[in-house]
Amino acid sequence: MEEIKCKIEQLLLKTQKPARYIGGEHGSVVKDKSKVDVRFAFCFPDIYDVGMSHLGMKILYGLKNSVPNWWCERVFMPDKDFEAHMRENSIPLYALESLDPLTEFDFIGFTLQYELSYTNVLAMLELAGLPVYAKDRKSLTPIIVGGGPCVCNPEPMADFFDLFIIGEGEEVNLELLRLYEKMKPLAPSKEEFLREAAKIEGIYVPSFYDVEYNGDGTVRSVLPNTAQAPAKVRKRIVKDFDSVYYPDSFVVPFTGIVHDRAVIEVLRGCIRGCRFCQAGFIYRPFREKNIDTITEETRCLCEQTGYEEVSLSSLSTSDYTKINELLERLSDYTDEEKINLSLPSLRIDNFSKELIDRIAAVRKSGLTFAPEAGTQRLRDVINKNITEDEIMRTCRLAFDEGYQTVKLYFMLGLPEETMEDVEGIAKLAQDIVDLYYETPKEKRGKSIQVSVSAATFVPKPFTPFEFEPQAAPEEIAKKQKYLLDCINSKKIKCSYHQQNVSILEAVLARGDRRLCRAVYTAWKKGCTLDSWDEHFRFDLWLEAFSECGVDIGFYANRRRSYDEVMPWSHLDYLISKEFLIRENKKAHNAQTTRNCKEGCSGCGVGRNCGGVYCG
Amino acid sequence: MAKQLIPKNQNLIIERFEYRIIYCKTGRARYISHLDLMRTMQRVFKRAGIPLWYTQGFNPHAYLMFPLALPLGTDSCTEILDVALVEKLEYGEIKDRLNAAMPEGLKVRSVAEPIMKHTEIASAEYVIRFTCNYGADRAKELFYDFLGQDRIEIEKRSKKKGINLVDIKPHIRLVSAAAENGETLIDLILPAGNSFNLNTAAVIDAFCRSKSVEINSIYTERTKIMTESGELFI
Repeated sequence: MEEIKCKIEQLLLKTQKPARYIGGEHGSVVKDKSKVDVRFAFCFPDIYDVGMSHLGMKILYGLKNSVPNWWCERVFMPDKDFEAHMRENSIPLYALESLDPLTEFDFIGFTLQYELSYTNVLAMLELAGLPVYAKDRKSLTPIIVGGGPCVCNPEPMADFFDLFIIGEGEEVNLELLRLYEKMKPLAPSKEEFLREAAKIEGIYVPSFYDVEYNGDGTVRSVLPNTAQAPAKVRKRIVKDFDSVYYPDSFVVPFTGIVHDRAVIEVLRGCIRGCRFCQAGFIYRPFREKNIDTITEETRCLCEQTGYEEVSLSSLSTSDYTKINELLERLSDYTDEEKINLSLPSLRIDNFSKELIDRIAAVRKSGLTFAPEAGTQRLRDVINKNITEDEIMRTCRLAFDEGYQTVKLYFMLGLPEETMEDVEGIAKLAQDIVDLYYETPKEKRGKSIQVSVSAATFVPKPFTPFEFEPQAAPEEIAKKQKYLLDCINSKKIKCSYHQQNVSILEAVLARGDRRLCRAVYTAWKKGCTLDSWDEHFRFDLWLEAFSECGVDIGFYANRRRSYDEVMPWSHLDYLISKEFLIRENKKAHNAQTTRNCKEGCSGCGVGRNCGGVYCG
Repeated sequence: MAKQLIPKNQNLIIERFEYRIIYCKTGRARYISHLDLMRTMQRVFKRAGIPLWYTQGFNPHAYLMFPLALPLGTDSCTEILDVALVEKLEYGEIKDRLNAAMPEGLKVRSVAEPIMKHTEIASAEYVIRFTCNYGADRAKELFYDFLGQDRIEIEKRSKKKGINLVDIKPHIRLVSAAAENGETLIDLILPAGNSFNLNTAAVIDAFCRSKSVEINSIYTERTKIMTESGELFI
């Protein structure tokens, strides 16, 4: 530790935002190494500013550190300047609490939140001085584990990890580390440990499965090659969500990060079933915490961190069953303490005047909506059950209160999309501008700005659109251009995502194990920090794909038949394939499906998973 | 006409109690930038449950004032933070409660009544420890040579004039120079405060350029903040 500390101290003076690399923040946990039996390095494969905003890390960090003889520390991907300093000075990747190199840890855990962080995983392993391929790491430790939403299809990363944790981490992390603590004195081989670990529900050991392919390149089968590995790995769910562990403190960074505030998770899962949305399916069922629990966690976290802002986290906060009562209770506390209560993830349809008032209580920010599609027909296709009337009603309420900015999120390239739907995006934005001008002058704000953001649709596993092709790049380009042509008001600003990013996401999201080599090759060519526009090198990715014989069209733009074996078919997220097929067919007929609150649609999640509306 | 807006958290507490906090910023905390320190301290007060006085208006913010910024990477045990509270508290209690809420490397030394005005700050003393491509003794000699020049010009950036050359030689007061345990130790007094500020990095950069010195490692500590007459600022 001292050696690394002396080295980095000099380099920090030449580094951008050096506080990101030295730890020591309030709330970071430092333990006496001699009293610790299990050491876990929690890695977020992106830079500090992003990783420190991630709630999952805060939960699992607190959880593991609540066990006295375990020590969990944080590790982030260094930015390019500091990475260069580390390489020049032979500083291995280290954890922020102890400043010890990663090779000293029992576990190295990565959370895979988005596909564009994959090359960072390899870069971090290499910076730590470890072989990136699991097969080349012969000793028991460090054991490289992965979790997070992307592990619902971890196949493009399967060769680099020893095991994946499927589903929610709160319980299974404890079980895994307990198993390790028990076996460690027996000095097992890595394989012996993995065999025992594979018996834990939710643990997927990729090397215990063989993948076979058909002549046309599709997957023929994914089968276990050892008795200990189940044919299907079932995701873990916290059934009693109200009493699940929640940290009483966060690590409070010195330097500004993306979401620099206290965060309280109020509910998990989503009742909506928007057909493009992976989170809406893989986090099912819908569970929520009691108002007392939420209030207590808020108070505790604010007191411990000193944050001036608390945000309620969920996929859709307005679906909380007693939302008004909750906000009343919370604002009693936050008003008194001059804490700003922020509510992201609100839906348009049940946006009440009361809610608007609450949001505006401390500082008035803009309104953000995600209609996703420009016409009612296409919104029915994707099951985004919002009507234009609801959007207008909410905007009217907001304009009456003096709101001046509206952000609208859309997707281009959705299944069944026509040019009429693209035009509909422009029309909806224009209608909102017109509505502003209809608002009486004495009520409305000084000006209006409507921002339209049009992302490219990426089909994801475990959604009804997992069978769908991504629209061809030319088609998307045509639609982007058409959208710009349709907008003729200076009050509307339009932006869209870099298409190459969406193409890469589409390939990796539904890729199979053969992509591991392409990820490796792209990284070897210099791809890291791919999620940053200034570092994204699609040309290098294309080279890597071509060298590894990967056909982008096969992964991104191909329609899958209903009976195709998906690369992730050995993973069970409780959502039944029959349901996904049913939903896909309904989508093509522009038929909507009711939400869980209105009635069960038989997605496959059982009654015994703690869901509020299940059974 | 826009309707009358009333900020919701406008409180009407007028009475304020002012305190001067003298604290250390060392070790890992030396990498907290000045801007980040503001936010960090505000959170320390919140955690400590010490109620800061908020400015009145549409965008209320806590009253925290650092009269002299400490350059990133410099240690100091003589830093000053002026605050206004809405409650009258014992100095010892403020110190203890803040220290219980401080992150590693930040520590309150004492709390006092603010007597001197910020504008009275005129200079600060620094101890610089470094190793370089020369031996410690040789580097010390080079530093004497450096200060013996007729002029020491550095580039100063300003908004109005752009980049221009400034002679900093008359502003550098050497207290002592020594070689100890393989390190060169330089004790300097430099102008600080509102009218003219010179930081150690500018001096060391000029030294390195002029004498072809390459620094291997360097530690800087601010040891005193002083008034025009050389009195300690408190």
